Amino acid sequence: MNDIIIKNITRIVIPFAQIYGIFVILNGHVSPGGGFAGGAIIGTSLILYTLVFGREKGRKKFSHKASEIAETGGILIYVIVGLIGLVVAGRFLTNLGAGFPEGVIGNIISGGMIPILMIGIGIKVASTMISLFNLLIDEAI
Amino acid sequence: MIIEQLPIINLLLFLLMALFIPLLKRKPFKITLILGFVVLGLVFISSVYLLWYVNNVGIIIYTFGGFEARFGIEFVVDPFSALFTTIIAILAAIIYIYSSGDATDGIEKTEYGRYYILLFLLLMSMFGILYTNDIFNTYVFIEILSITTCAIISIKKKKDTYTSAFRYLMMNELGSLSYLIGVALIYMATGYTNITLIGESMSNAFQAYQLNIVIALGFMIIGLGIKAAVFPFHIWLPDAHSSAPSTSSAILSAIVIKVYILVFVKVLFRVFNLEILNEMSISTILLILAGVGMIMGSVFAIAQKDVKRMLGYSSVAQMGYILLGIGLLSFEGLRAAFFHILSHGLMKTALFLSVGEIIFYKKTRKVNDFDGLGFIMPVAMGVFSIAALGMIGLPLTSGFISKLNLGMAVLDKNQTIFLVILIISSLLNVIYYLPIIISAFLKNEKYHYRLESIEKTPRTMIAPLILLGLLIIVVGIFPNQIMVFIESAVRSVMP
Repeated sequence: MNDIIIKNITRIVIPFAQIYGIFVILNGHVSPGGGFAGGAIIGTSLILYTLVFGREKGRKKFSHKASEIAETGGILIYVIVGLIGLVVAGRFLTNLGAGFPEGVIGNIISGGMIPILMIGIGIKVASTMISLFNLLIDEAI
Repeated sequence: MIIEQLPIINLLLFLLMALFIPLLKRKPFKITLILGFVVLGLVFISSVYLLWYVNNVGIIIYTFGGFEARFGIEFVVDPFSALFTTIIAILAAIIYIYSSGDATDGIEKTEYGRYYILLFLLLMSMFGILYTNDIFNTYVFIEILSITTCAIISIKKKKDTYTSAFRYLMMNELGSLSYLIGVALIYMATGYTNITLIGESMSNAFQAYQLNIVIALGFMIIGLGIKAAVFPFHIWLPDAHSSAPSTSSAILSAIVIKVYILVFVKVLFRVFNLEILNEMSISTILLILAGVGMIMGSVFAIAQKDVKRMLGYSSVAQMGYILLGIGLLSFEGLRAAFFHILSHGLMKTALFLSVGEIIFYKKTRKVNDFDGLGFIMPVAMGVFSIAALGMIGLPLTSGFISKLNLGMAVLDKNQTIFLVILIISSLLNVIYYLPIIISAFLKNEKYHYRLESIEKTPRTMIAPLILLGLLIIVVGIFPNQIMVFIESAVRSVMP
């Protein structure tokens, strides 16, 4: 797509979209949204970038290797947090019992491990969306 | 303390193995294979240990995150789940060894890693289905299982595999959604998704919300029936199982459809109870489905020219046997069904793997091209013959024991008509298995020049076949050692 308006608007919009995605992920446990919704927003911003600037530039921004690592890492965060619960409290995915801070209800840092899990889910969903999109593009060509 | 963690550690081992395969992509593939084998070995050891533990010490109840069962997710390891996870681990290990001998036919080299990722996710979801004690969690694992199965079917990039994978996906999504509607209706009536708690409150709920429970049972029977390829819902199975690579056909036919039938058993006997089932005369419906499936599956199998399609239809008939045992709703029936799940798992794995080796070297799938193969590939055809004779139900094989038990169970319930159907179905099995064996061992090969072209088979492919052949015979000669575990599994399902 070689349109200067679209390119410039995209440049302006993408940072806001990504910051909004991060906001949704981080506030997942105190407000509607969460890892999946926020990850989808970030993933969509990456898809928008690929659509506007082409597959090559998109690959430079977020390579296949990076998405592989991000996908594995997202689940690994979840598993490791779960294992902390298993080791400390004797049950997989134990939250407060395993020493995660409870915090003040309504703050970002509250709810023990849930924000960490949300970040993991967010990374996983964002990278899955962009790699699925790339797979579909490559298939068509 | 550590024993309690074993079920979740089993699941995590599979999951982590699947996660690390993409990261190992740039290393030699051998590392992945060895690591996968270590994982399977560890899971096998822990499953066997759990089987011993639950039979001798007591069942294990594990709740996630320390929440009590009615809020959280609960894993229960009882003789039932421990027995079948062990069987799955054994079969999966055998198939894994076989597939490492580069017999994953038709898969491109670059897809090997993906194939093993899918395999380990598949195993994880099956272990999860068996361990979990929560019908909604079961649904989640069922979804993982059907999506990975669909991907495994379509991993060969050919047109016919895409068609069969699409058909599989459509049929199985219908099945999953029917199951989910059943879960929702039960949740509406009882307020729980935990199987133990539902089981306790089911009698009251049946009085208060009879319609809900009846509809839920109907949806669940249809949904799980589609997934387990019970006769009228089987149309996806022959395509899917014949177009997948041989090793995954073995997994799909020997393990995956059995897992759904085990969920079915759980739903029938733990979620609902015998009084409700008897009041709605579910037994009659299941027995009719089973009887029709036993006959029609075999009849369709006779008409097939492609070996793998024939084995697929044979699986439909065998699911009829298992359903017959379950449908009797008696101790003996369930025992026969569970034993047949084991023996059919062994026999179908042996059949698909030996056929896989034949296809790998001879590049033919036609039943008519098996002439004289017994002299060229003695091990593959020998194991094929043992397994086929087991399917027919000759003594000394595990198939005989399961048919014997099934016949006794049928007679116990005075359903003589099904004994007749059982015998007719066995005779139909003779019609399509015996000609293959006869032409392989008694006829000459049509093209003698091909004799030289068969290279030496890798040892990793031969060893699992021999092991399977031996297991079929050992289980057939000494069924009592295994029967102990099966009976305690039946007792834990059916109080």
